[in-house]
Order: sequence, then structure tokens, then C-alpha cells
Amino acid sequence: MKPTPSFNRSLWVYHFNSGSCNGCEIEIVATLCPRYDPERFGIKLVGSPRHADVMLVTGPVVKKMKDRLLRVYSQIPDPKVVMCIGTCGISGGVFFDSYNLEGPVDEVIPVDVYVPGCPPRPEAIIHGVVTALAKLERLEGGSA
Amino acid sequence: MSGEKKSPYIVPIGPTHPALKEPVMFNFEMDGEMIRDVDFAPGQVHRGIEWMGMRRNPVQIVHLTDRICGICGVSHTLAFSRAVEQVTGIEVPERADYIRSIIAEFERIQSHLLWAGVAAHELGFDSLLYLTWQVREQSMDVIENLTGNRVNYGLVQVGGVRRDIVPEQHRIIEDCLSAYEGALGKLLDLFLHDKTIAMRCRDVGLLSKDDALKLCTVGPTARASGVNVDLRQDYPYCAYGDLDVRAILPDQYAGETRGDVYDRIVVRLLEVGQSCGIIRQCLSEMPAGEITAEPKLAKLLAICKKAQGEAIGRVEAPRGECFHYVLMEGKEAPASWKVKASSYSNLMSWIPMLRGEQIADIPIIVASIDPCLSCTDRVAVVRNGSPSILTKDDLHRLSVEKTRRLQQ
Amino acid sequence: MTEKVLSPEQVAQVFREKFGAAITDIRITERREGVKKNPNFNIWIDIDRSILNPAVATLIDIHFPHFAVISGVDTGDAVRLIYHFTVFYGHPGAECTVSFSVNLPKSDLSVPTISSLIPGAVFSEREKQEFLGVRVTDIPDGRRLFLPDDFPDGVYPWRKDETGVSDGMINELWRSKRPTDRPAPPAAEKELCELPAEDVAEKEGSS
Repeated sequence: MKPTPSFNRSLWVYHFNSGSCNGCEIEIVATLCPRYDPERFGIKLVGSPRHADVMLVTGPVVKKMKDRLLRVYSQIPDPKVVMCIGTCGISGGVFFDSYNLEGPVDEVIPVDVYVPGCPPRPEAIIHGVVTALAKLERLEGGSA
Repeated sequence: MSGEKKSPYIVPIGPTHPALKEPVMFNFEMDGEMIRDVDFAPGQVHRGIEWMGMRRNPVQIVHLTDRICGICGVSHTLAFSRAVEQVTGIEVPERADYIRSIIAEFERIQSHLLWAGVAAHELGFDSLLYLTWQVREQSMDVIENLTGNRVNYGLVQVGGVRRDIVPEQHRIIEDCLSAYEGALGKLLDLFLHDKTIAMRCRDVGLLSKDDALKLCTVGPTARASGVNVDLRQDYPYCAYGDLDVRAILPDQYAGETRGDVYDRIVVRLLEVGQSCGIIRQCLSEMPAGEITAEPKLAKLLAICKKAQGEAIGRVEAPRGECFHYVLMEGKEAPASWKVKASSYSNLMSWIPMLRGEQIADIPIIVASIDPCLSCTDRVAVVRNGSPSILTKDDLHRLSVEKTRRLQQ
Repeated sequence: MTEKVLSPEQVAQVFREKFGAAITDIRITERREGVKKNPNFNIWIDIDRSILNPAVATLIDIHFPHFAVISGVDTGDAVRLIYHFTVFYGHPGAECTVSFSVNLPKSDLSVPTISSLIPGAVFSEREKQEFLGVRVTDIPDGRRLFLPDDFPDGVYPWRKDETGVSDGMINELWRSKRPTDRPAPPAAEKELCELPAEDVAEKEGSS
């Protein structure tokens, strides 16, 4: 990973579960464990959206969670990157028709990076976060 | 302030916590730092699975059941397949039974190790979290070798399993089992002989045997309260009938049963050791033969289409009893399908457990019944009408601070 | 509460003797698995709703049962609820499931609660109320359980008649952003967001 001149802080990640089966959750937490260890790059999971740079969304959006998703999205300060982890959020996955689902995540909030897989491997998630990092740099470079 | 009777504050917690099938919205009635009453409302992850299932055929439903819960995926698939097999009268070959048992036990091991890490995290021992999850990674490697994926295995299908365990894989399994049996002593030492964990967990979150029976709890939560219930012992399915499994109760280790969080840790860690023994026995006694009764899916669907009748499939998932009821009436889709995940039965036990406990103990008590992942999200505390928001970090911090206080 | 283990036939006999005509049907099924082929038994009892609570009380006398769940199915002009219990856990190999089926005609969809005998049943009864439109009399807490509060009243997802989920309520997620000018699958590839030209790390992935 080549840090560029505009990269001046570590990436803090906030995770939001909009109704998933927890498979992607486990892979996200497994990504943070000593085996893959992204914390050596400064990537860590935070508990509040106001501290975050990247938001990870998992799951197809259940109707009850739609408002909360919108609210959390607005609480994250710019510049931000939204990542959609898992096929549930991309096209519904196995839950492709239901009466209680609001739709894939990009119908509710704009998504920047999609990581497909059911669930995606930790390597794929790291690749996704690094892609998000690159996009964040470009956004910051563009606005600065 | 003194002399006035303070009215209880209501503390809502939730719902964004990636637990259970349903992240739960809690409402606590507080009396100072003590919880007076608890109310909760699930429903945040209701995806309409049973309704979707009534529009698909059994082969498709098997893939859907894999994703009901990420951690206990095999249990749901197994329970559903067994129900359909009983309705259609398909005889599962014995080799498939043994393979199913092996993969179910591996799932139990990785689920209990995951839970142990989460419990340690909630108590403030982050290094234990990383250690346990590192130990867990070895079983994930074995599972990936056997099934092709770390989560959502896709191994079980109606009529048998889809992949075989060949002798070349036996060595990897054996390596993992011996590593775990060695690591178990260390884990038991770290968790159970630590003074602070004992102080945090002993007599916290008590659930009496009477309550456990009346509220229909299952799995390690019930066993920790002294209820002798284990499907592998009482209603043996797959290969367990040949293996003579016994339920693990805390008085086998600690001499007495108190039904608190400590007992639940005891039961789960000892079950990891038990699972290693079961896998080894299954591997050595595995009969040769076919791995599935009907490898061609089209023929399988044709058999299912003609089936009439109802059946129950029950499986001991890592969290308790997983129950599927299927009613088929000669059409492709089942006429009725009812899923009961194990956490469904355990939810009501939160109420007696949380009453009278302190707010700093909420994370560990909520996590102790193992609701599929970690805990709660945002806590809004209303004090005298002016709300202040505590985040998950704050709630976690309260729990960690209590540990540090006890350590001094 | 006796701890004597009875065989499934004996359990069925107890119920037949006690309730006689109110029981429409008793069936016992079994399943054998593994190499040794030990049997597992299920007892299915069809009863009238008036004897639901007495039947559960009789079961408690035999052995305090573990209540699993209530399943329900819409059979056209009636709704059938099945209460699933298990008894004789704790005795290796001796557990059997007991299921009481209660038929409720759609003209009178009410059933008494069993939560006075088994407090843990409240969850399942609430679920049946919102999914099948059954009214459970004397239930201590009748709120919605899983469905959101703004779900329309009078729509019961598991019913197969006009009160079920209508087609307008189904959201087909797979259609989202699918190009409409070509036949359904295969669809065009999604346009990826613009990635930088540098090959950012595959390296961290390998352990």
C-alpha cells in the first residue's frame, strides 16, 4: 500500500447492520483480528458514526431500519465513503423478494464501493477498504 | 434531592446491535444504577423468510436456510433437511449422517470460541478476544478445507451431503483437534481461574432452574441452570445415536450449579472439548458408502413434489434447540414452514436475569445467552427529563471500568 | 410431577383415557438414523380447542414439557395451530415430541392462552396473532412482535386468502437497476465506480 501525500490520517470504520444474517458481521470482525490485522495500518472499528470516515453497511435494508440508516448516514461527517458488504445489500442475495425489505442499500443511500460475496472473505473486505481509502484520498484531494 | 422519591428513569437501548436474528430494542426501568424492570421488542431483522419459503421448492429453501443465521448456518439446514426427508421418506445414507455430525460439531467449536472472545471483549479483556479468535482461525481453515467456505457452508442438501471427506483431509482435521485439546487447558485456565472474571461473573445474571424450565430456555443457557437437556443425548439424530453423548452440566466441573454467567462460560468451554472427542470418534467410525440418497436434483424435486405429510426436524445448534416444522401437500412449495431458532426460546430469559443488576453488567449478561453476536448500540438515558445519549462505547466503557475497579 | 419415563404408546393411552371424544386423532411416527438405527418418536394429537389447557396440564403432570413453538397453517376455511412440546428430556434416547393440533374455523379465530401454565409461550402466541390473525384470549401482552408498527392492519402474511400479502407489497430487490431493454437474465455488467489505476494492495490479504 503506497501512502500518498494527501493521506494524513488513519481510516476509522463504522459498521451498520441493516438486517443481515450476521455472516458478514463475523467476517468483518474476523478481519480485525490478528490474522489479517488491519490495525497496523490504523484501520479500526469505532462505536459512533461521528468519528467515522468509512461506513460499512451489511444486510438488505429491513423496513424498520431504513430511517435509522438514513439518520446514521447523515451523521457521518464529509468526506465519507459508504461500502456495501455482502450480496444482500447489492441485490438482495437469497432474499430477492420479500414484503418487509426496503430494497438494496443503494436505493436508500448512495454507495461508493461494493464488496460482493456471501459472505465476502476478509481479504476481499480489506481490498474493499483499501479501494475506499483510495477514493477518499481523491475526494479529499479534490475538495482541498 | 434527598428525601424525595426518585421516579425511575427509562433507558432505551438498541436497536442496532448485530445480535440474534433480530437486533432487540430494550427499555430499562432504572432505579439509580440498578435495573428495576426490562422490556424488549424484537423485529428489526424480520426478513419474511418463512413467507419466502412458502413460494420456493425445498432445494432452494435449503440455500435460504443457510443464511438465516451466519453462525449457526448448518443447524438450520440440517433441521430443515431432516424434516423434508421424514415427509418424503428419503433414507439418508449412514456416511452422510456421520459427515453431517462432523460438520455440526465443527460449527459448535467455532461458535463457542467466537462467543468466548465476545464475552471477554465485553468484560474488557481485549487481548483474550484476539487470542480466542486467533485460536478459532484454525478451525475456520479446516472448515474451509472441508466445505469450501468459512461461513455459509452449503454442505447439506436434502437426502445427504454434497461433498465427501476424503482420507487426505483426515490429517488436517487431526492436527486441528490435537491443537485444540492442547489449547483447551490454557483457555480454561485463562477464563475460569482468573480472579477478576470470577468476580464479574459469579452470581451475576442468575437464572434459576424453575425459571429456565418455565421460560422454555434451551442449550447452554438451560444447562448452566441445571436443566439436563441436550438433543444429542435425548433425541439422537444423525450419528449421535451411536456415540453416546452426555449433556455437560456445570456441576461436573465446579461441583455446584448456580445458573450465573460463570456457569455459562464453563458449559461452553467444556463443550468445545466434548466436540473434539466426538469428531475424533466420528472420523474413526465413519462407515463407507454413498454420501447422498439422490444426487440428481431434478429427481429429488420430483420426489418432493409428490410428498404429502408433516414432520419435525430438530437439531442441537450451538445455542440450543433448532426446530423446523414442514407441511407438504403435494405441491412444489411447502404449505407451511415454521422456523424456531434457538435464540428465540432464550430471549425471554433476559427478563429475570437483568432484574436487579447494575447497568455496567448489561453487556455481559445480554451476551451470556449468546445471542448470535455482540451487544447493544446506543443507550439514551433520560435523567429528570433531559436526555443524554450514551453510545455503545460508553456502555462498553462502563463495563470495562467496573473490571478495572475490581482489579485494584 | 412424576419422573417415570413412559413409552409413546403409554402417553397416547393416557390422553385417550382422559379426554375420550374430544381427541379426534392420535398418530405416532418414528424415524431411525445412524448405523444403530435407534428410533425417535413423534406423537401427533388432534384436539378440540376447549380442551387445550386441560391437555397441557395433563402433559405437565406426565413430565414438565419443553415448549418449542406454535406453528400455524391456513387450510382454506380454517386455521390450524399446532403446539409443539417435548417430554422426557434428560433421559438418553427417550425424548419424544408431542404436538397438539387445534383447528380454528375462520369465522371464529380465537384460542385460549396457555401462558398461565407455560409463561414462555407468550412470544409464540404474539407471533401467531400478527401473522395469522388469530385472537388469543387473555394474553398478558398482545403487542406486535416482529412486524413493524406501520405494517397495515388486517394483513396477515401467512394467510393464503385475501388477507395475505398482496402483490403490491412485495419488493423485488433483484430488479433494482437492472437494465430493462434486454431479456431477464443475463443482464449487463454493473458499471464499477472509477478505481485509480494503481494496483492497490492484494498484499495484505495473504496471511
